[in-house]
Amino acid sequence: MTKTVILIQTIVGGLGIGSIYALVALGYSMVYRSMGLVNFAHGSIYMIGTYFGIIFYRGMVAGIHLPYWAAFIVGVLLTAILGVLLERLFRPLANLDLMLMLLGTIGVGIMLDNLAIIVWGAEGFAVRSPLPSKPILVGGVSLLPQMLLVIGVGTLLMVGLQTFLSRTKVGKAMRAAAQDREIASAMGIPVNFTNAITFAIGSGLASAAGILAAPIVYVNPSMSAAVGIKGFASAILGGLGSIPGAIVGGLSFGVIEAISAGFISSAYTKGIAFIIMVLVLMVKPSGIVGETTVEKV
Amino acid sequence: MKTRSTLWKTLALVAFLALLLAMPKIARNDYQVRILNMTGLYILISLGLNIAMGYCGQINLAMGAFWAVGAYTAALLNTNFKWPFWLTLPAAMVISAIIGVVVGLPSLKVRSHYLAIVTIGLGEVINIILVNEEKITRGAMGIPGIKRPSLFGFTFNSEQKYYYLVLVAVILGYLIARQITRHRFGRAFRAIRDDYVAAKAMGVNTGFYQILAIVISGVYAGVAGVLFAHLNTYISPDIFEFRSTLFVLTMTMVGGMGNLLGSLVGGILVILQEALRTFKDWQLVFYGVAVVLVVLFFPGGVMGIAQRWRERQATRLASAAEKEEAGNPPSGEVR
Repeated sequence: MTKTVILIQTIVGGLGIGSIYALVALGYSMVYRSMGLVNFAHGSIYMIGTYFGIIFYRGMVAGIHLPYWAAFIVGVLLTAILGVLLERLFRPLANLDLMLMLLGTIGVGIMLDNLAIIVWGAEGFAVRSPLPSKPILVGGVSLLPQMLLVIGVGTLLMVGLQTFLSRTKVGKAMRAAAQDREIASAMGIPVNFTNAITFAIGSGLASAAGILAAPIVYVNPSMSAAVGIKGFASAILGGLGSIPGAIVGGLSFGVIEAISAGFISSAYTKGIAFIIMVLVLMVKPSGIVGETTVEKV
Repeated sequence: MKTRSTLWKTLALVAFLALLLAMPKIARNDYQVRILNMTGLYILISLGLNIAMGYCGQINLAMGAFWAVGAYTAALLNTNFKWPFWLTLPAAMVISAIIGVVVGLPSLKVRSHYLAIVTIGLGEVINIILVNEEKITRGAMGIPGIKRPSLFGFTFNSEQKYYYLVLVAVILGYLIARQITRHRFGRAFRAIRDDYVAAKAMGVNTGFYQILAIVISGVYAGVAGVLFAHLNTYISPDIFEFRSTLFVLTMTMVGGMGNLLGSLVGGILVILQEALRTFKDWQLVFYGVAVVLVVLFFPGGVMGIAQRWRERQATRLASAAEKEEAGNPPSGEVR
């Protein structure tokens, strides 16, 4: 195998994992933009969302075996409903200062994580991919079908979200509410409703990411912390609060991880990704595509 | 009136110290003394976090990593070079301080949630190094055989004896923290926390103090790490994972961020968490619920409640004084 083939293969793998981070990062950024809330329970929502879909795929609820695509839809919808309920819980937290917000959302995360352990057990399981596990060869580059599915569905969701926000009435209302809460509500936009929709979409995207990733990774309740931190790092890397930023941040985080795993050191994958994130923030604190804010006295 | 209240305060303090000294005798078994020792260590880390976050407003979520740095420095120097506790302690303090400068540097450029993720990231990097540099740290297997400290032939070889070492460390740590926060450093810290731009305009060397706050918090966690390594005699990287940072954060906020006594009160949370163990799986669920309730209803923590109560007392006294001035002395005030 030539070096370029390996490089392409690594980058595709990175884009796959990166799509997952991007979907998770979108949840952080959307909620932050509309409510000003940094939601540290988002990793736990990702984990619960994964279970919500996979339990139907593996027939863990009353023996119902759904096909992968149906389990995917059910999981995403259930997690979106959970998101609406959580928005109600988080509403009073959004006006507090960062440290309290941090602690309050972390508290909710601890609750969700341990409820998951009680309901589904602390040990995880591997999930069988709905697609053949044999890699597809394209011009010498071998690609895992599930990885292509992750990239494909991930792209579809991201494009769909962008269209929804820019074309539909609800999407426009959401953007208006995110930009200026007071004026939006003066214009007759039900801000609490748009916030609930935002939370539902953010949670649904996290669930989609989790269900897509499940056949590649191992599913267990403690996966919330790792993906939660990386998703947040991606959102920050791209520019917290920016939708394209979350996508760019997530994809770059994934690709950086894959390249450092393939070419530098597999043990230090995560470490190198974090160091690059810190360096980017030192040079451009607002992230790759984030807007620079000027502090007013 | 004033001398009387000081007298009562002194008596209460003496009684409290006597209680602290008697704790190992009151405890029913070694396990309970171990929990007290761990409480002491968590209080030390919390004091450090309180100085950085509560006083200076610098979010430092790498506390678990600093704890690990202290513990690993002590463990490696003790097992490889036979350095005693009294030498590993200053060595670990120096190394934690150096790492503190590295972790503190980004605080010059980024703030609030950005600083949070940067410190989380750097903390993770330190943990990854500990897991992967197997030739030095033995990776996930950890380092066994760390010696207990001894002083003039007296070895702190039981939980009870070690308790007094921890107690001295906590008291010293508290007094030093009080000294730091009450004087020049403390004033600069609070100025930066309350209004960064104004502090800078008034000539406070903000960059220096921001890094200093994180260095101090790192050294506190480092000292706790040394004490932990010599107490447990075995350390492995999983002890210092991110959740340990979260635990210290919760305990400080429940006690009261921005008030050193809050860190001491927060220590009760360590004991409370042990008590919740009877609920088995539900332990951490209740713990999460409790954290959310504290944030929603008592955002200032326990010390915040105490503060509110004092303020209420003060207004009550003031209104009583007003009544007195109006020529209507309240009964029972003649002494």
